[in-house]
Amino acid sequence: MTRPLLRMNPRPRLPALALAACLLAPALAAAQPSTADGAPALKARTCSVEGLMDSIRRGLHSNSEAYKTYLRTLLRESAVKLPLAELQAAFEREQDPALVEHLAAALVARTERGLEPAAMQAVAKRALDDPNPGLRAATVRALRRTGALEHTGDLYQRLVRDASPEVRMEAATNLVEDNLHVYGGHDGPAADSAVAAAATSSDPKVTAHILGQLMTGEISTGSAHKIEQLLHNDSVEVRAAASAALGGVPAAEAPSARASLVSLYYDESDPTVRKSILQSIARLGYASAVPELQRLRSVDPSLGSEIDSWIQILNKNPQDWGLILREKQKQQAR
Amino acid sequence: MIPEPIHRPAPPRTKGRTRFVVTALGTMALLAAVALLSRGFGKDSGQPKTRQAPELARLARFAPSGTDETDRQGKTADDKASRFDDTTCWDDIENFNEKVTLENFREWAAPLWASKDPLVIEYLKQRLGELIGDDEGRAGQVLGWARSASPAEFKLLMGGLRSSKALPKMAAQLTSLGLDKSLDLGRRAGFLDELQHLPRLEPEALDKLTHLAEDASSGEAGWVTTRAIGRVMKADLTRTGTFEPYLDKLLTIGANSKDEQVRYLALEMELHAEAPLDAKALDRLEKILTTDGSDHVRQVVAHDLSLSEDKPRALDIYAKAFQQETDLCARWAFFRFAARVAGKDALPIMANMAQGDPRFQGIYQEFDRLYASGIVDFGRLWLSLPSDNPFGCLDHHDDP
Repeated sequence: MTRPLLRMNPRPRLPALALAACLLAPALAAAQPSTADGAPALKARTCSVEGLMDSIRRGLHSNSEAYKTYLRTLLRESAVKLPLAELQAAFEREQDPALVEHLAAALVARTERGLEPAAMQAVAKRALDDPNPGLRAATVRALRRTGALEHTGDLYQRLVRDASPEVRMEAATNLVEDNLHVYGGHDGPAADSAVAAAATSSDPKVTAHILGQLMTGEISTGSAHKIEQLLHNDSVEVRAAASAALGGVPAAEAPSARASLVSLYYDESDPTVRKSILQSIARLGYASAVPELQRLRSVDPSLGSEIDSWIQILNKNPQDWGLILREKQKQQAR
Repeated sequence: MIPEPIHRPAPPRTKGRTRFVVTALGTMALLAAVALLSRGFGKDSGQPKTRQAPELARLARFAPSGTDETDRQGKTADDKASRFDDTTCWDDIENFNEKVTLENFREWAAPLWASKDPLVIEYLKQRLGELIGDDEGRAGQVLGWARSASPAEFKLLMGGLRSSKALPKMAAQLTSLGLDKSLDLGRRAGFLDELQHLPRLEPEALDKLTHLAEDASSGEAGWVTTRAIGRVMKADLTRTGTFEPYLDKLLTIGANSKDEQVRYLALEMELHAEAPLDAKALDRLEKILTTDGSDHVRQVVAHDLSLSEDKPRALDIYAKAFQQETDLCARWAFFRFAARVAGKDALPIMANMAQGDPRFQGIYQEFDRLYASGIVDFGRLWLSLPSDNPFGCLDHHDDP
């Protein structure tokens, strides 16, 4: 469930604690430890690209995940205040994949916060052009859960055709996670971009990875038709994922999607794909799908219990897909 | 799954694109004030129409117009960067990280957390969690410090405990500290707030926590305790299928608390867990629906009822409640949740509602038209309505 915790008239929590923190701060600042007993000589200073990169390079060997996360976050949060030229130069000469990913994330952060688009474009360029597939993959990861879809044109349609399977799958993961976590699964253009990339790729794993997890409730008619065409793909994985994706299409696309799925069910031989089709027929039709499901019962007797399970649930006239899925999972667990 | 816009304010559906996650930490001054970024991208964003342009030129098509150095408002990157707070780099923090122990943590960390540098404070919480590990004794030591720590250090210590693997072992101590009347309410609320991360609550603790949450004088402690019960219910329901004891307590709080926000929260937590409602739960919800003086609470109860599998009973409750109700937004809740519980089978009930209150005639026609067009589920119907806020109610809960 993506719905955030909501409450009426939100009120600040623990205000007394925050107030007292302010009162105590001067006294605590004076409690800085000396180095005589081995305590670190902690001193605040302004961040620099060189200093941060030295720290991160050494920090990569730390056993503390907390420290590594801190350094990565510090670089990204400092990015808007660091000189772009220095940051970009460091990014372009760096050859360690982990550091490339950190520097790329810092550049992306500049564009994300409304500074120059060129920062993210430099990252996109390296994601496409670097001769080292490991570095291309690291750069693609740095674009994850950002607004890259809005700034990089057909980047993802190109990345899903990369020569490296690792790069292709990283790009697919970005599309899935951006749609879900940046746009909440409810943005038509973002979902359409993902469908376009899925349809463009010739890697079945990539296409299946995208379509298998994409929320398609607000895709365009063109995207729905692209997915329908993928129902005839040679790959079982792709056919199963495309079948699943069609189950969530908008109301206007539902009749066409439903007809395509029913047609495929008769021609399909793979049980995984057939199960995926049954689920989407249920999702597109709810209680009105029951007669169709009953007709399909004779096509493949081995799936009779699966169809009966859907019919039993849909006959209760449920109105919410989440509740339907939960009921299905309960039935499977029995 | 509950479609987002059913009960609460939702982002605009067609006017632009709403980004749900800002990748930056919420610590920067500017970004902290902008939790959601609305972008005015058109439908063609991300969809280049031509392929002849060189790569960088194609990428640049999505950039704002202006020179390399300025945007359309003439602002340079430096101008924009000045809106953000400076970050702090700390000399010798690598040495701190390597040599800090649980024993010297408080002394060594003091200058860092006193600096109020949000990034280093977050690091300290995570590092303390690593130092605690899954050791119950170490976690108990940190809880002992927290009893008397300053408020700022208290938050750090509790953050460290929360990030440690030992937290699930600390249920009894956290509950005991949260109920300790010798401590101030703010600190008790801090202890009780950590209960939300536990996998389950024992019956005895649940009784005591419910008693505290029902008591309006508990203030924040009551609110966080109610949230904790709800979140643990969801976790336990997902993990083991257990929800009954928690739901029973939430309904008790929802019926008895004198604090409207606590009642609302108790009844809202049912929605987050989507716990099944039996006949007894329906009875209790119906009673709240017909007796609670808050229209906010009555609306959230209406939402709860839409999870019922006993559709005739739920429709009957909505129909009767609509007649008694005087608040327009509460009536709108009964109207739309009737559709959510029974789909087009609810249309006769909804027609009666519209007959009784002509303000609902127009929206009734919309529901009728959409069902007649072949829409079969509430999610698609909701997205197909011309407006998801026909009576201006969706922002109602956030009114001052």
